[in-house]
Amino acid sequence: MVAGDQSDPVDCLILGAGPGGYVAALRAAQLGRSVTLVERRRVGGVCLNEGCIPSKQLSRFAAAKAAAEKLAPSGMPSFAGPPDMASFQKSRAASVGVLVKGVSSLLDAAGVKVIAGSARFVGRSRVCVEIGEESVRYFDFKDVVIATGSRATQLDVLPFEGDRVVEPSRALEWESTPASLLVAGDDYVALEIAVAYARLGSRVTLAAPAERLLPDFDSDLSAAAQRGARAAGVEVVLSADPHAMAGKAERVVVSAGRLANLEELDLQSAGLTPPGRHLKVDAQLRLDRHVFAIGDVTDGLPLAHRAMMQGRVAGDVLGGKTSAFDSRAIPRAVFSDPEIAAVGLTEIEALAAGHEVSIGRFPFAALGRAVIESATAGFAKLIFDRPGGALLGAHLAGPRSTELVAEMALAIEMGATAEDIALTAHAHPTFAESLMEAAEVSLGRPVHVRPAKR
Amino acid sequence: MARFEFRLPDIGEGLAEAEVAKWLVSVGDRVTEDQAVVEMMTDKASVELPSPGAGVVVEQLAAEGDVVKTGDVLYVLETDARIGAAGAHGRAAESREKSPLPSRPAATSTGVLAPPAVRKLARELGVDLANVKGSGPGGRISAEDVQRHDAAATHPAHAAELPVTQGVQIGAGERVPLRGVQKRMAETMALSARSIPHVTGFHEVDAGAFVELAARLRREGEATGARFAFDTLLVRATAMAVHRHPIFNCSLDLERGEIVMHAEVNVGVATATPAGLIVPVVKRADTLDLARLAAEVDRVTSAAREGKTSVSDVRGGTITISNTGAWRGGLGTSLIVPPEVAIVGFGRVEEKAVVRDGKVVARPMMPMSITFDHRVIDGEAGLSFALTLRALIEDPQQLGT
Repeated sequence: MVAGDQSDPVDCLILGAGPGGYVAALRAAQLGRSVTLVERRRVGGVCLNEGCIPSKQLSRFAAAKAAAEKLAPSGMPSFAGPPDMASFQKSRAASVGVLVKGVSSLLDAAGVKVIAGSARFVGRSRVCVEIGEESVRYFDFKDVVIATGSRATQLDVLPFEGDRVVEPSRALEWESTPASLLVAGDDYVALEIAVAYARLGSRVTLAAPAERLLPDFDSDLSAAAQRGARAAGVEVVLSADPHAMAGKAERVVVSAGRLANLEELDLQSAGLTPPGRHLKVDAQLRLDRHVFAIGDVTDGLPLAHRAMMQGRVAGDVLGGKTSAFDSRAIPRAVFSDPEIAAVGLTEIEALAAGHEVSIGRFPFAALGRAVIESATAGFAKLIFDRPGGALLGAHLAGPRSTELVAEMALAIEMGATAEDIALTAHAHPTFAESLMEAAEVSLGRPVHVRPAKR
Repeated sequence: MARFEFRLPDIGEGLAEAEVAKWLVSVGDRVTEDQAVVEMMTDKASVELPSPGAGVVVEQLAAEGDVVKTGDVLYVLETDARIGAAGAHGRAAESREKSPLPSRPAATSTGVLAPPAVRKLARELGVDLANVKGSGPGGRISAEDVQRHDAAATHPAHAAELPVTQGVQIGAGERVPLRGVQKRMAETMALSARSIPHVTGFHEVDAGAFVELAARLRREGEATGARFAFDTLLVRATAMAVHRHPIFNCSLDLERGEIVMHAEVNVGVATATPAGLIVPVVKRADTLDLARLAAEVDRVTSAAREGKTSVSDVRGGTITISNTGAWRGGLGTSLIVPPEVAIVGFGRVEEKAVVRDGKVVARPMMPMSITFDHRVIDGEAGLSFALTLRALIEDPQQLGT
């Protein structure tokens, strides 16, 4: 506690205006709380400004070019040649600008007070916010939400270095495509950047430390990711030593996971000591009676939609509602080629959990829509709890997988069984049919592929 | 100095919650180790919770009348020395390894089959889905299942049909919060009246020999310093009668369609206390010899009057007696304490004109009422029990050994 300093009492203080923090702020304000939101950079956080949104714009730009090239043999006028990255960057900045403005006006309309600055705890219910170089303000809060997110981790053997060795966010801002690019990493961020720049004409090497890409996904998806990356022109090196390979590349992107932004908060001053790299919260997202934590600072996948869901729950709890974060299925979406998406348990996890696993796998070679789009390498793999039982997991590779996974998340939340999915009509000809077909495969009565011999 | 969060311990027999009856210290007060800090009320017992160490109470997180869940923080102590988790009922604030509130298992798809909206409803109603039987395919739980479970748990009869009893106030009276023992009585008795078809039989018993025996035993007790309550003989007579009529010592399990015959005879003794009606239980009353029975009756009723009843002392009753004699009570009906199936009422012994051998004589008569649950006990069984009890009181030799 700093004696003699003026402090302002605030009702509900939220630290960080990323997808977790701003959603919590909006929900708490809707429920009548007076909300103050502290953000050191721009509202929307990493996701909106330098993560999900701009990276998906890059992926989409690269995919459109690849799709047109794929159609050239079918008579599509070719547009060979390098892309105009300067124009792309203008459109990227414009999209981000629209969305940031959107979030700002939502916060305004909800009466959320936004303070630009960096916060740290100086007592059990007091936070100090440094505004610019000189100015400091103190706030005494009733409730606080820690939503300060995470940042890219460096590799000890390959530290970030100027414009050449960079974190993934910087790679979204390049005004030109590098002639050669080394991407060090095996996670979805590394895969997306590698595939996007390969499609845009860079000579890309993906140096994966693990024995497979996407090591925490179902192994069938790892295999699909690797095949797809190679088909897109990415040189994939597994069990790689990125340090040894970095010298030759014009640019290097390092994706080595994310680290929760906790140190600068000085949690000890609030009597809170995180047991490890993350904060452990209860189902109401509480660390303590008046201290909440959501998003990447908490234990779990560092994904924007998880943070947003937690933000809703924290906002509900702050507003006095009975609420809990009990999502059973957090989908994961990878915007590579092919698109990859997963929700729920992998095959190995389901077996390890003791389920009598029943698998329905449907190859896109038997799917009309996939033939039209030359995407016959894709598949849907559904995992059920015993034959005919509830859906435990879905693992999808192919166009629009990142959208299809939503249906599978709903199915898991609803406790849908193989029959439920098989008996739901899916529009023809779409990729979504593969889900219905995969469920039928698991029930031993597929129409469009031969049933397994018994 | 260390901050210690005192969490509500399991006060007994797996209780999920308890009510703050009274704070015995204020915020800022110093307490010594084992000093009583707060009085908690569970069912019909109030329990004083001692401080795990010396220090200053810096925060109280619940007000009197609040219901607190087991494991929730009750108060915060700024302790002089660090308190280890083992020596205390709670956990030190420094230890944040586990989440402070119980949370559901991690997000996997292996939990109960209930969609998100139903899980939300269950949270709002405080229903544990693990206890809900799903009526859907494969045991899927619907919103209706949750509502039905909630209604059965909190309003055993048709709560919706009950008349609304709120808000009416005649004149400038006072409004007193319904809490603690009174609240439990309101809930238990309403449940009893709603769910049990009561039948009461009235009897007059010649208590001449019984009163003499009680007086003799009291005098003998006084000689050795042991207290002998009149109720002791009533408990013994009831326990012996129950022993011969085991249907009076059962509970009804409607959900499974079974009558549960209890192996022990545990006699509750309705006791008026400053806080309200409490029914402490004399466990295995049929197995205790007279001296131990007297001591046990004295112990549980004294503790109740002094507000020191423990939770285990109000649990597990299989039949109840209510003696209003000391209060000049006459004949009256009683309400059965669920899940018991009978309650025996005794009134004041008074001299009355009765006919003996064709002559009108004055005899000390005691009114007795036998109230039973007609779902499991029929009129003949009820009368048969009454005759046994009457015989034991009128010829009390067997009671005095």
